[in-house]
Amino acid sequence: MINDLEKKLKTYRLSVEEYEKIKSLLGREPAPIEWPLYSALWSEHCSYKSSKIHLRKFSYRNERTPLMDGENAGVVDLGFDEKIAFKMESHNHPSFIEPVQGAATGVGGILRDIFTMGARPIMSANYLCFGDVDAPRMKDLMKGVVHGISSYGNCVGVPTVNGQTNFHPRYNKNILVNALNVGYFGPGMKMALSNASGPGNYVVYVGAKTGRDGVHGASMASASFDDDSESKKPNVQIGDPFYEKLLIEACLEVLEKNLVVAMQDMGAAGLTSSSFEMASKGQVGLVIDLKKVPLRDSTMSPEDILLSESQERMLLICEPKNFDVLHKTFKKWNLDSAILGEVQAQKKVKLMWGPEVLTDIDPDLIVESAPRYERPYTKWTPKNKVAELTRPTIQFAEILKKALSSSKLNRFTWIYNQYDQRVGAKTATACESAVAFTRLEHSGRGLALAVGCRPDVMEMDAQIGAYDAVYYPAFQMALKGAEVLAVTDCLNFGNPQKNEIMSEFVASVDAIVDASEQLKAPVISGNVSFYNETITENIVSTPAIGLVGLRDTVEDIRPDYFQNPFEMILEVKLNWVESFTWINSLGNKTSSFKSYPEINVPKFIQLCKNLDTEIKAKKIKVSAIKAVGLGGITTTCLKMTTSELGFDLSNDYQGVTAADYFKDTFYSFLITTSELEEVRKFLKSYFNSIPVEILKIGETTQKIIRITSEFQLDFDQFQKQFKQEI
Amino acid sequence: MSLKVGVTRFLGTNCDQDVRQWFSLNGHKAEYLWFEDQFNSNDYDMLVIPGGFSHGDYLRCGALAARTNVMKSVREFANKGKPILGICNGFQILCEAELLPGALLRNKDLRFIDGWQTLKVENTTNAFSKKMSVGQTIKLPIAHGEGQFYADSETLKKMVDQKQIWLTYENNPNGSMLNISGITNAKHNICGLMPHPERALFDWMGSSDGGFFL
Repeated sequence: MINDLEKKLKTYRLSVEEYEKIKSLLGREPAPIEWPLYSALWSEHCSYKSSKIHLRKFSYRNERTPLMDGENAGVVDLGFDEKIAFKMESHNHPSFIEPVQGAATGVGGILRDIFTMGARPIMSANYLCFGDVDAPRMKDLMKGVVHGISSYGNCVGVPTVNGQTNFHPRYNKNILVNALNVGYFGPGMKMALSNASGPGNYVVYVGAKTGRDGVHGASMASASFDDDSESKKPNVQIGDPFYEKLLIEACLEVLEKNLVVAMQDMGAAGLTSSSFEMASKGQVGLVIDLKKVPLRDSTMSPEDILLSESQERMLLICEPKNFDVLHKTFKKWNLDSAILGEVQAQKKVKLMWGPEVLTDIDPDLIVESAPRYERPYTKWTPKNKVAELTRPTIQFAEILKKALSSSKLNRFTWIYNQYDQRVGAKTATACESAVAFTRLEHSGRGLALAVGCRPDVMEMDAQIGAYDAVYYPAFQMALKGAEVLAVTDCLNFGNPQKNEIMSEFVASVDAIVDASEQLKAPVISGNVSFYNETITENIVSTPAIGLVGLRDTVEDIRPDYFQNPFEMILEVKLNWVESFTWINSLGNKTSSFKSYPEINVPKFIQLCKNLDTEIKAKKIKVSAIKAVGLGGITTTCLKMTTSELGFDLSNDYQGVTAADYFKDTFYSFLITTSELEEVRKFLKSYFNSIPVEILKIGETTQKIIRITSEFQLDFDQFQKQFKQEI
Repeated sequence: MSLKVGVTRFLGTNCDQDVRQWFSLNGHKAEYLWFEDQFNSNDYDMLVIPGGFSHGDYLRCGALAARTNVMKSVREFANKGKPILGICNGFQILCEAELLPGALLRNKDLRFIDGWQTLKVENTTNAFSKKMSVGQTIKLPIAHGEGQFYADSETLKKMVDQKQIWLTYENNPNGSMLNISGITNAKHNICGLMPHPERALFDWMGSSDGGFFL
């Protein structure tokens, strides 16, 4: 009997304490079908049991961000009768097991979170972290993930406009695949909610048929990997973007026709989570006959049906009088729709198998009663800080060779050229720029999208790294003249039951809360992915951030690339953090990290945002503008090169050692101009309230890259290496 | 003159709205044509088959779409010598329907490619080259996995002789024969191209050369 219980607890990934709690909630032993229900809904993935008490800190909202708690994505009101919904979500565990399907269904899942609210998806982005390029399987994982994103995203007709790709050996056994989507509500478009209501209304299943794929996916994603991740392949879902595209069109059409009371996608834990959550949110009951679920495999058990994570399915509530039109609309789009049961006033979810009652349970005994854990953590103390920076000894040629071969310096065109970036005919800037801009259909304004979080900085100091995860993309956005509006986060961490991981988690959440309040950009949606751990190795804590912003127009966005030869390159330099992180990441262990907390970064970001308008108003001649990234002015200039234009730092920049040319300075930016004195004077007076230095560091050239008088790169060879596939 | 333009919609078409916007911006009236329905060819002055992944690209790109009801009417429209434009998947559908010669194979490096291309105008004797001149270069974006134009040598020779090659790539991205990116039929009323003119209408989009088509 005891052994039997142990086996069950292991199968359903529940602890003894959780089992005891279930028994006391029910006042009896759980029925056979209730085991998988608790397993799924109390998994970390569905219940956020280790993070919820900290996620409550994301409470700040402003006039643009109505309170929409519990919905699938956050909403921002842009004025002019326009709104957006946006969210970022992880699909890390499945992507490591089966990269193509894992990444593809990650894209599919986040799309459904958006259009289930009634918004039309208009921009996709992704945030990827891979291990050493030479680690086992890594190249295949990269190729697979990119292929998965491209095959799914392109087919659904939503442009992939931005992305960030990181490499760090601590992702060797747990890669990260985070997908972000933004949806648009134009004038007259209705927002759909997910709370079931109206006793007697039908519970309707729509979309693809249910199969065995993804059964137990949610609890799989809530555990660490052992050596045998291969055996978990059957837990990974399989997607079909064609069905998703049909589902988008059909769902938006039934919403437009006002045929839907509530709608919820079947994501993690499939039918289980969608039905129980819709009932719990609406404080009503549902009667559902599992025999009525359209199946791909008629031998599936009720448990399989409840836990299947088959893709491209939705659950919706509709009034009986509207079902006929609704059914016809889905049929027009070649999709199944089936009545599974109905809403009832009594707050109980009654699951039937034909005439047999499997369970009849108050949804709150599962959804609202999920455990909340205050995992032990230690208050954050700054790491790796030094009084004086020690300059590591490096050689130009050696460090650049390492960088080019290790993926630290790569244009990644071979990745983003596989993504359709312009379907929709609204894209102004996409993956080749740090910030993507899409034209809003109704008002013509520019909607900006950027992603952030630099694992190398997180590794140096999780608190500064998390501030930087918000500030850096906000800074990049500001330089293009966009006002930051709101934040979504995808918190990828290791095992929360380890104090050091939980401490980094709490420090990150607190930093993100503070940064978003400082920038007046609320955190309105997000996702937590714990247990990114294999045996005892944890990933670098990675709170990935997505930011949306707004610019008056999509015209005249200053590019990230050199525009003309023989222009001056100026650096506007702010010292919030100085470090040799980039050099360190290439294997040099003597680096150091120094921060100046007294610097008011949000104020600087705000000034940078207004700079764009000032430049235009005063007709200042500025051609390109770009934030200085890790690896300092040299790597940033290299990234600004084009197939025709290079740069020369040898006459102006005065580094003491080679390392100075690669020193990271948060936050500096480069600006190019033909009018040196005019621009220098303008910038000096514009930034007079902030301690910035303004330096001429070099000039643009025609096909020459000269770093010092002794060191120059072969232009064509560099371009070739820079663009080559890893 | 304002034209009445029919825009086909198959399951999986995803450039329909972009194409409709393009024609509306030029003062024309664009209407959708559902793939299951036939239409009266007298009701329209011009047809566009927009891009996307019609019927999920199952079997072969364009193969299922080419065999739908709406294509029966498209064929009738074509036989009257009226202008038809197929963009990207629309080009593939017209080849599958044998309204255009040749076929579009998987790109030579077997991957989807997105990016800007410089195209050379080879011929302007069709309804979609209104503002183009022979020898001119234009900049348009591509986004396709199956854009490698292929035809047997006899067909290719005929196409050259009959001036059916409309647009060519300056830097061939997909392995197309003769760098072909756009063609017409022998009568020059049916046109197909892989690049997307509807995504290049304003400078903020990266190019406004889509303006040369109408």
